[in-house]
Amino acid sequence: MRQGRLVATGLMLLFCLVAAWQSWLLPLTDRLGPGPGFFPFWMALIGVALAIGLLVVTVAQPAAAPVEAGDGEDTERILPHGPGAARWFAIVVALAAAAAAMEVLGFRITMLVFNAALAIALGERRWWLIALFAALGSFGVFYLFTTWLDVLLPVGRFGI
Amino acid sequence: MDALGHLMSGFAAALSINYLLYATAGCILGTLIGVLPGLGPAAGTAILIPITFNLDPTGAIIMLAAIYYGAMYGGTITSVLINVPGEAASVVTCIDGYQMAKQGRAGSALAIAAIGSFVGGIVATVLLVLVAAPLATLALKFGPAEFFALMVAGLCLVVGLAGNNMWAALLMTIVGLLIAMVGLDPVRGAPRFTYGVDELIDGVGFVPIVMGLFGVAELLIAAEKRQTRMIEADLQKWNLTKDEWRRSSGAIARGTGIGFVLGLIPGVGSIVPTFMAYVMEKRLSKNPERFGKGAVEGVAAAETANNSYANGAMVPLLSLGIPSSPTIAVLMGAFIIHGLQPGPFLFKERPDLVWTVIASFFVGNVLLLILNLPLVGLWARLLKIPFGYLCAGVLIFCIIGSYSLKQTMFDVWVMLGFGVIGYILRKLDFPLAPAILALILGPMMEKSLRTTLEISGGSFAIFLERPVALALLAIPLLVLATMLLRPRTFAKLRESDIE
Repeated sequence: MRQGRLVATGLMLLFCLVAAWQSWLLPLTDRLGPGPGFFPFWMALIGVALAIGLLVVTVAQPAAAPVEAGDGEDTERILPHGPGAARWFAIVVALAAAAAAMEVLGFRITMLVFNAALAIALGERRWWLIALFAALGSFGVFYLFTTWLDVLLPVGRFGI
Repeated sequence: MDALGHLMSGFAAALSINYLLYATAGCILGTLIGVLPGLGPAAGTAILIPITFNLDPTGAIIMLAAIYYGAMYGGTITSVLINVPGEAASVVTCIDGYQMAKQGRAGSALAIAAIGSFVGGIVATVLLVLVAAPLATLALKFGPAEFFALMVAGLCLVVGLAGNNMWAALLMTIVGLLIAMVGLDPVRGAPRFTYGVDELIDGVGFVPIVMGLFGVAELLIAAEKRQTRMIEADLQKWNLTKDEWRRSSGAIARGTGIGFVLGLIPGVGSIVPTFMAYVMEKRLSKNPERFGKGAVEGVAAAETANNSYANGAMVPLLSLGIPSSPTIAVLMGAFIIHGLQPGPFLFKERPDLVWTVIASFFVGNVLLLILNLPLVGLWARLLKIPFGYLCAGVLIFCIIGSYSLKQTMFDVWVMLGFGVIGYILRKLDFPLAPAILALILGPMMEKSLRTTLEISGGSFAIFLERPVALALLAIPLLVLATMLLRPRTFAKLRESDIE
């Protein structure tokens, strides 16, 4: 976990450095007082100092031995692993695919496929229940939100 | 009109059929969200914001507030039946609640939790009525310097409670503030950090970020874990003895006080009052060895403090415009989405709305008691929903919630990105609450600071000339001074009182 914390803190340090540089390019003051760059610039500088501080604190800490949880799960690992990793990636990939397809296929078709695919990927097997859930979670939800709640949802290029 | 008169008018409105329906729907949806493992009140409230888009602001806030305290109660059910807290505040309830369930007393545990939550919620709302309006009147005298100092103090208190994780919490606060800087400069209106992306002109959406960090990240963590088994129990069977009622009544009274007082302090978070109430009961008990083995007063204390805190935390939001926790920050975001700025001016400009919402807290607590005692068996059955359907169902709402605010898929990508980031940060033990609070307070902090400096001609000495601002800015110094001592004390307490 220490290695993961170092990487994450390093990335935040980079983020603060970029923010400080980008803020520096904005006016820090103008004739009325502080300009648009003033607050983010100083915040980013404080962030740089804190990130360096956290890096030092993390490096100074003794490395912990990997801890095995009661069910044999390694709690020190950061990225998904074991049988759960497939479920993890299924969720991320399904969400990304839905976000990419929504404007082309529209909410109803995208969510019909999304619901069915995700339910199957997460271990559901009763086809009639999957079909019912997918239909309710796409066409049903679309009707509920657009007709009853007046919330606009994407309609694709095919008008569905 | 005095507070009582305003409150009576508020009751007249809150008891109208529309608002009563919104409060009922909010309680049901909130309990549902709280029951589902892996979805806390912050994610639940954020996910359900879209269903309030076309309600009038009063109705929307009534519904979202009901979702909030419904979720706080719903978390109890999973704590008792599967030893998995539905939200952070229910962690302490697991200790004795799950033991009671294993002894076949799940019905009693859930009943005392519902009664304690009701008493805590009602008494805290009475105290809110007494405290909120005078505090708002006082805050009306604040200038931008005081508001800036207040927001800094609020953020520092959140950071202070991160314990050994103080450096990480401070860094997360700054990251939250920097993300909040994206979009139009709140003073001059100049675009910043948008890089020609039209979707960033209004800033990075608060709702997609919260949904990502709390909703998607929670699901990703749940997806990795193994399924937990629910304890089968007769949930309608209560068998509390006279002695247990007596012990619970004391725990409920003390839990109410602890929850409300800690709710007033920005940044305390909901787990601290429940933990403190539990520890106090254990210390006061003649038989502390019963705690951890199914002591009913342990459940009563934690649940009462939890709900009392939830209502008490509305005081800084409504009176000062300062959110105390991520869920309250989401509620504040909902106020802003509906064109309202919580704080002292809201009491002055929209007393009808404020007092109707406060009256709805009373109504909501009564509704929760009515709904939860007889319906607890129904809620428990929801725990049997297979993860595949649960996950897909929650993600449908996450997608709609992210998309519908600005009608752009960009926000769905933002949600997904922050979901993965939230998953990693939680695994690495980086606290997310400071970033969320900084995200919502960032633009207001910047505006207050810059206005203050414009008034003073750029001199920071103005903070030394204003005693209230100076006193509020002293809080961060105190937090930093105690940071080396308190986490150890807290850790020792935790070790000795909770195994």
